[in-house]
Amino acid sequence: MQILLQLIASGVAVGMIYAAIAFGYQLTFATSKTLNFGQGEALMLGALVGLSLTSWLGYWAMLPLVLLFGFVQGAIVERLGVRPSIKIKSEFGWIMATIALGIIFKNLAEIVWGREALPFPSPLPTDAYVLGGVRILPVELLIVVGALGMMLAVEFFNRKSIWGKAVRATANDRDAAGLMGINTSQIITLSYAVSSMTAALAGVLVAPRITAIDANLGAVLGLKAFAVAIIGGLESGLGVIVGGIILGVAETMTGYYISTGYKDVPGLVLLLLVLMVKPSGLFGKATIKKV
Amino acid sequence: MLQVEKLVAGYGKVEVLHALDFKVEQGQLVTLIGSNGAGKTTTMRALSGMLVPTSGSIRLRDKEIAGLPSHAVAKIGLAHSPEGRRVFASLSVDENLQLGAFARVTGARPKGELQRDFDRVYTLFPRLAERRKQYAGTLSGGEQQMLAMGRALMLNPEILLLDEPSMGLAPRLVEEVFKTIRELRAAGVTMLLVEQFAAAALEVADYAYVMENGHIRHQGPASQLKTDPAVKAAYLGGGH
Ligand SMILES: Nc1ncnc2c1ncn2[C@@H]1O[C@H](COP(=O)(O)OP(=O)(O)OP(=O)(O)O)[C@@H](O)[C@H]1O
Ligand SMILES: [Mg+2]
Repeated sequence: MQILLQLIASGVAVGMIYAAIAFGYQLTFATSKTLNFGQGEALMLGALVGLSLTSWLGYWAMLPLVLLFGFVQGAIVERLGVRPSIKIKSEFGWIMATIALGIIFKNLAEIVWGREALPFPSPLPTDAYVLGGVRILPVELLIVVGALGMMLAVEFFNRKSIWGKAVRATANDRDAAGLMGINTSQIITLSYAVSSMTAALAGVLVAPRITAIDANLGAVLGLKAFAVAIIGGLESGLGVIVGGIILGVAETMTGYYISTGYKDVPGLVLLLLVLMVKPSGLFGKATIKKV
Repeated sequence: MLQVEKLVAGYGKVEVLHALDFKVEQGQLVTLIGSNGAGKTTTMRALSGMLVPTSGSIRLRDKEIAGLPSHAVAKIGLAHSPEGRRVFASLSVDENLQLGAFARVTGARPKGELQRDFDRVYTLFPRLAERRKQYAGTLSGGEQQMLAMGRALMLNPEILLLDEPSMGLAPRLVEEVFKTIRELRAAGVTMLLVEQFAAAALEVADYAYVMENGHIRHQGPASQLKTDPAVKAAYLGGGH
């Protein structure tokens, strides 16, 4: 029983990272029906930029700058990779473009930070809290609080601010949003910016937990988070949190009961299952529009 | 106020509007009538920038707006309540109206008295006031139509375009919509109205254009067209 609780606790922390990245997939899908397949690389860049800034400013003061970096990086991806293919209504152009940009970012990161894994210092004590026999690392709590906080902040922005309402209106009916005086191209850029900002934050949240990072950090995380976005539904905010936790726990269980070598299998199996059973995701609303 | 010259527009290679000329004077209610597929909605879409015209000129006051994106046209003061209502289904009634005023809230248009205009819309449509917090997607068809009109009014526009505001409504609600249009006219709102109920539209309008296959076939003061034998035969006979 205790082992089970331990596996769940560790799984939740990993799962929140998947959730945060998947949440980013949702943001851009809502406004433009496109995804940034370089989302994992946005996370990796956030972590490495964060590492460099940490040695200069310390972990906590680095955070706002990494958020800003992610925001700008996402806007660049949209302008360079996505906008041209939206303009010509290309169905697949953005897929190739965001994958290509992801590869470019990875190569750039290798040039700047090298191929060796770099240690990421922990901003918090490394002794675990023990709660009823379950060991929880302070940096795991940081992941959960940070990722949830980020998602809640974005939700709050979307519900309460006029720009957030413009984002939701664009997601509802882009043409009608234009008639309101909303520059919907700008709103799509904004959603990419916020999406990458979320990923960059996820990068500096997960880095202290895995203790060493390199330019390959993003690839696997981005793919698994894609599975989570599909499991959780590309349209439903709550779904990715549940989906992330499901995958995170499934992985720690596989790692413990079978072998850590098979840790990555559940994500892919879940992805295949969901795609077969329910293409719109477990929690996704049916995407039939009222005319 | 609005001056359209030699407006040509279409979809892909298909030309739908063939060099239209018409105008709307300040404070006037002008109606555009014509049978299904005549090009009325296409005209509205070209005016508001939802569709980029092939050629021709559209001037709002003294600004050329032909070919501008719709958000820029809205900021210049043209509000378009589109065919099929197009309210934001997963936003509340209140939020839909706030977005109608987006250009004012974000400073792209003079702010004016926002609260007064909210109150005006809710006075005009008391049914919306009772449903402020409700998702627009859960409103009835008639209520959605009121919301679409209210949302367009929230721009405090120079000119208001209404595309078939009575579409799909029960007769009693059609009455209500026309009553509202009359009230807006009395309040001095400049309007361009597309309607399938041609007789009712001619009743409230100052001036009318009759469209056929992308051309303007007849025009004149509404009171005059109402009694024109050719118009009567083609558009006012029997039917509704
Ligand atoms: N999106 C589109 N793509 C291609 N052709 C279109 C499109 N929308 C309209 N058309 C065509 O353009 C012509 C004019 O259509 P439009 O919608 O402007 O007519 P309308 O006068 O508004 O008719 P209704 O009274 O039925 O609303 C029609 O022949 C129609 O088939
Ligand atoms: Mg029409």
